[in-house]
Amino acid sequence: MRLPCPYCGDRDAQEFSYRGDAGPRRPEGEDGLFDYVYLRDNPAGPIRELWYHANGCRNWIVVTRDTRTHEVHGSSLARESGA
Amino acid sequence: MAEHLIHSEQEGWALATVMARRAVGPAAVGAALELELRDEPVAVSNGAIRAIGTGPGAWLVIDTEPDHGFADALQDRLEGLASVSDQSSGYAVFRLSGAGARTALQRGAAIDFHPDVFAPGSVATTAIAHIGAIVWQVDDSPTYDVAVFRSLSGSFRHWLEETAAAL
Repeated sequence: MRLPCPYCGDRDAQEFSYRGDAGPRRPEGEDGLFDYVYLRDNPAGPIRELWYHANGCRNWIVVTRDTRTHEVHGSSLARESGA
Repeated sequence: MAEHLIHSEQEGWALATVMARRAVGPAAVGAALELELRDEPVAVSNGAIRAIGTGPGAWLVIDTEPDHGFADALQDRLEGLASVSDQSSGYAVFRLSGAGARTALQRGAAIDFHPDVFAPGSVATTAIAHIGAIVWQVDDSPTYDVAVFRSLSGSFRHWLEETAAAL
């Protein structure tokens, strides 16, 4: 699988580390912390995911990927997409 | 048939990483260094120093004929704009040239080095034989420079010699 890095261009997925769903937000207090740490949806379809381009520009990026087909719909720098 | 590959290690270069502070754009950093910097993986030069784009707001700045205190002088020019870290002893730079240089890189990195898409001035930060490497094309003879962490330069040279022998 190749992932489109917004800076480097299309790169082999092996250059990246996978972090998972880009959606969850850390809560301010302890309420909701368990859900934030442990609970994830398992969608069949498009999902926004965090990848770290370790062997490249060393930036976190958000990739939108369809879990059924592995089709990639685009990517952006995490710092610019508020992830 | 053996293809010609010449490789050597650059000596005496001064290198430093430059990382722009938050909300400081490439134009402001470039203005301070008299370079036309962009947030793209390209190499630009003003005759005195060269900047290799390694990430958004990040460059490897090189002086091939440095004065003493290169990184300190760079830091003075970039006060408040960017962070500077001297890497002169952190990276080793190998120069690859000759007809086999492109083939050798193609065997090491999952990067398209075809001249239509990778030309003089193009940069790729990637891994070669699991070794983090910054590759940029110097001219279209073709000549490439490859920067690797110095502690891994022995392993990189080993890969280079094995690859050259198999060309």
